[in-house]
Amino acid sequence: MECSELTEKAVTHLLGELEETDRTLMEEHLAGCAACRQELSQIETAWQRLGEDPDAPVSADFRRKSLQLIEDEMLRRRVREFRPPRRWIPLAAQAAALLAAAALGWLVRRPAATVSAPSVAPAVAGAPAALPKGTLSNVTYRQADAEGKVAVAFDVTSHQTIVGKPEDPAVAGLLAYLVSQGARTAGERSQAIELVSSHYGTASTPASPEIVSALTATLRHDQNPGVRKKAADALAGFSMGPEIRAAFLEALAKDSNPAVRLVAIDALAASAKQSPDARTIESLRERAVDPQENGFVRAKAASALRGVEF
Amino acid sequence: MISGADARADRALLEQIRNGDTAGAAELFERYAPALLRFTDRLLSDRASAEEVTQEVFVKLIARAHQYDGRAEVASWLFAIAANACRDRRRRDRRATVVPLEAIPEPPDRTSHRGDGIEGALISREQRQAVRAALSALSDEQREALVLARYHGLPYVEIAELLGISVGAVKTRIFRAVETLKSRFSQGEASWNAAN
Repeated sequence: MECSELTEKAVTHLLGELEETDRTLMEEHLAGCAACRQELSQIETAWQRLGEDPDAPVSADFRRKSLQLIEDEMLRRRVREFRPPRRWIPLAAQAAALLAAAALGWLVRRPAATVSAPSVAPAVAGAPAALPKGTLSNVTYRQADAEGKVAVAFDVTSHQTIVGKPEDPAVAGLLAYLVSQGARTAGERSQAIELVSSHYGTASTPASPEIVSALTATLRHDQNPGVRKKAADALAGFSMGPEIRAAFLEALAKDSNPAVRLVAIDALAASAKQSPDARTIESLRERAVDPQENGFVRAKAASALRGVEF
Repeated sequence: MISGADARADRALLEQIRNGDTAGAAELFERYAPALLRFTDRLLSDRASAEEVTQEVFVKLIARAHQYDGRAEVASWLFAIAANACRDRRRRDRRATVVPLEAIPEPPDRTSHRGDGIEGALISREQRQAVRAALSALSDEQREALVLARYHGLPYVEIAELLGISVGAVKTRIFRAVETLKSRFSQGEASWNAAN
């Protein structure tokens, strides 16, 4: 063994990977080389000194915040992986059979397809009660009262299909209604947002004020964090106006879900890069230094600030 | 680094993540967060940044779970993500951040230091800071390889796989790191002896 090989052999030995034959050669060399013995001693000392940096444990606070972040991220993924059913795509793409504006206007004003039957609707004497078109559900019956009249109560549900171009004001209005309040379940609202997101926000089809208002209201008020996140993603794809900026700033300051706050940071930072805005910069700074804030959000805010020139 | 049974369990947990099950991600966190935090802490010399990067590793794990091709163990894959994230972080922070050594938090009570009193604790703190300063003086590449070998007990082959370099390159990085540390610690002791 040569003196120049000492470090390699010594470290490999300390790591437990030195072959037996190499070890023997090293020991033979050391027996006759005082300089290498001294150098080996220094290498071993350095190796031991590294052990004076003990492992720091995972704190309970870090563990709790991280598990929360993981849960939020999994939720984000599940929402992101959602794709609208195939039948939605031709619905928006086909423009051939646009309904008359008047009919659609009626639907936009009264889009709830479920109409409760009046609690008491007298049947016309001599003729059967007009049978409603649609599916009857939630049916209840009342036995004959003192006057001998029975009663039947029900909901009528009918299925409507509206076909039109995204830029048609009536279609935009219907979607805005569904986003903001018309869809009952979080899944239905998410689907409406998905459709809006994929068809509006381009130069040829800018988002109407109605849609922007519906999405900002959803971002502010929807109970479901997945839906709020979806609304934020959709808004991030539109050009940033005062209404959208205000909604993002509010989400950044108040939204309980870090995934929503992260989208707000991305959108605000992208806008601030184009035209720095004092309130945006201040809000990002507050997030970056808030010790109560989620670590990932803090890092994102700090990183966003670094990308903004002001 | 890990047994075959553990590796199989890791893959099952990754499959859970692919299926949208949060429990899989939480279990992988419990398994690997302590080691990843130790790794990132030593690479970055800043506990807060290390915690953020460790969280980032798990966010990336979730985002990329469907890209995992099974060629490396899940554990190696996690460490590779962490090493890349640390490199990005250091590149980004290099211009702006100088971490004072005083900012390095002390680990909680160590049994070996009990009974030494304040003096013992101060010496321990000083020693620790000296080690961190020495590690910080190494290049990123040398520090990564050395930390994986010295503190995580990984063999050369696994380090090579994890960092995507040859075994020869791993050895070169570790040996050069040790050469640098040897000189640094020897000089430190010489000046200590001269002063006393």
